Amino acid sequence: MFKYYLHMAWKSLIATPVVTSLMLLAIALGIATCMGTLTIHHMMSMDPIPEKSQQLFAPQLKSYGNTVTSFGMNDGFSDQLTHQDAINLRHSKVAFRQTAMLKTGFAVQSDNADVAPKLKSARAADSDFFAMFNAPFAYGNTWDKKIDEQPVEVAVIGEKLNQELYGGGDNVGKNIFLNQKAYRIVGILKHWEPSPMFYDLTGGSFNRAEQIFIPFSLLPVHELPSWGSNSSWKNEDVYTYQDKLKSETHWIQYWVELTDVQQQQSYREYLSGYINEQKKIGRFNRDDATADLKNVIQWLTYNEVVSEDNSVLVGLSFLLLVVCLVNTIGLLLAKFLRRAPEVGVRRALGASKAQVFLQHLIEVGLLGFSGGLLGILLAQLGLWLLRSNYGSYEMLANMDMTMLLTAPVLAISTSIIAGLYPAWKICRTQPSIYLKSQ
Amino acid sequence: MLQMQKINKIYRTELVETHALREFNLTVKEGEFVTVTGPSGSGKTTFLNIAGLLEEISQGKYLLDGVDVVGLKDKELSRLRNEKIGFIFQSFNLIPDLNLFENVDVPLRYRGFNAKQRKRRIEEALEKVGLAARMKHLPAQLSGGQQQRVAIARALAGEPKFLLADEPTGNLDSLMARQVMELLKDINKQGTTIVMVTHDPALARCGQRNIQIVDGQVCDFSLYQNKEQNQNQFQQHPNEATTA
Repeated sequence: MFKYYLHMAWKSLIATPVVTSLMLLAIALGIATCMGTLTIHHMMSMDPIPEKSQQLFAPQLKSYGNTVTSFGMNDGFSDQLTHQDAINLRHSKVAFRQTAMLKTGFAVQSDNADVAPKLKSARAADSDFFAMFNAPFAYGNTWDKKIDEQPVEVAVIGEKLNQELYGGGDNVGKNIFLNQKAYRIVGILKHWEPSPMFYDLTGGSFNRAEQIFIPFSLLPVHELPSWGSNSSWKNEDVYTYQDKLKSETHWIQYWVELTDVQQQQSYREYLSGYINEQKKIGRFNRDDATADLKNVIQWLTYNEVVSEDNSVLVGLSFLLLVVCLVNTIGLLLAKFLRRAPEVGVRRALGASKAQVFLQHLIEVGLLGFSGGLLGILLAQLGLWLLRSNYGSYEMLANMDMTMLLTAPVLAISTSIIAGLYPAWKICRTQPSIYLKSQ
Repeated sequence: MLQMQKINKIYRTELVETHALREFNLTVKEGEFVTVTGPSGSGKTTFLNIAGLLEEISQGKYLLDGVDVVGLKDKELSRLRNEKIGFIFQSFNLIPDLNLFENVDVPLRYRGFNAKQRKRRIEEALEKVGLAARMKHLPAQLSGGQQQRVAIARALAGEPKFLLADEPTGNLDSLMARQVMELLKDINKQGTTIVMVTHDPALARCGQRNIQIVDGQVCDFSLYQNKEQNQNQFQQHPNEATTA
């Protein structure tokens, strides 16, 4: 009977093209708006590294001095560390893996003199970076761990840059020139775009991952500038790069990988010990100086990656869907009641109320499905416009498979809810009224 | 086939109570062709709706083919209606968006026949009414008489034991009306019980029995006729004897 009801639904929909088009448009508009905002919300709130998000932690230190009343985030913690704290923490052997890092940038050239240099951002990090964040290698590997202590000009480049500079392929061993200095390529990554770019949220949550990675130990050697956020609670004279390295400026991102609860506990104890140690030598002179560890999910929430505005927008778009559906209910009711004589005939010929109800619900379901498909097209159009006009939405305004499947399910379910009353109303038609008058 | 005992049907509104049928009694035997006549508002249509399980009764007892239908649920009533009753309406009541094949298919779908069974029954039914060649036509492409024949085919396709016809020739010219009546007679000859409501006295005589409904009650016309004849005989007899 399902096939029959579907056939009848199709006939009914094409029999009233204007009403059908209006209902389709109403559903499609509601679905498109919902799917557009939901897609952005979904992409924003996605776990960027689900297999490890409970094992990767950002340590935070509440280290500002007594001379100021507040610093950093609302809770007094900074989202970055000073260089000296990062260097100190790097000496610890408690964490399974760890990396200090900094966003910097260079004029980039290959060994091909014909290609003009391009200004590109880069990330100075430790050798653990790639294994910690599951960045996959197409060729080569990360640099030797010794380089984290004894700087050497090596680099790992991304797939996109490899394509851009060398036309792709295995270019491990070749040189890349950063600010005219040769760096030997030791590894080439496969496509890797964590979204949100959780390991450094200071310059925006949805930036593209850098295409150049160099050892963090090169920071003092080449006096690499920070392309990210720099903030300090202390009024101090910073004239040279060495001054900055020793200053209370927070500009270094730091992550550790702690594989189990015991390791996490040990690391917390280690941080606590570090705070006490720093207090003893005259830094961290606040009574409430303390440390915290946040895993990836906590880190995203803490940094308000999904803004409240976005959630409000999702709510508003659902309200619009409700408005569209209320209009659809009105149109459905008018359409179904106009067909009451036919329902009378069907009832006389043996259709039960339940069968009439089901037939009409299937018609609504088909309408919802079609509206959903049209809604996906409209949503895609909207997202494309967003991507085209606002670069920051390039990573966000993309419907993944979950969203593509959600759209028709949402459309069908909401349409069926909207169709319940009209279908119930029509199935209660008293057939004898219409059989005489038709 | 149909047994109605002391049936009452009352339509109630906030202000008025209308007794459409009062203490209504009727028995129709299997294979009978009964015509029902009566003035407008006498309760003919109400009787037909109740007989066709389209309306519930307020009081009384109704047995359809031995099944007590009072208190049955909608699903059971619908199944009974589908299996045992065929309807023919004055205004044909074909579904305009469906072609003849699909129109005749409607009751068979609810019966749950498979595609092969349905096709065979539809073709046979349309063959019987002489419209097999036009099964892909829409109702609007047919004359009134042809539409009524499709309605008859639709009623017959499920092979019901009982056919209810409400003014089946009311919208037809006399030639077409005669053709439809011949068809109904043929169907009756093949064993289908028919109850037909009509205003036309000539058509009322086509049945084996005619009942009149007046003020929601049955007046068996044949009884009146017999009574009149008996009274005439009683009045005429002495004169005849004198003459003799």
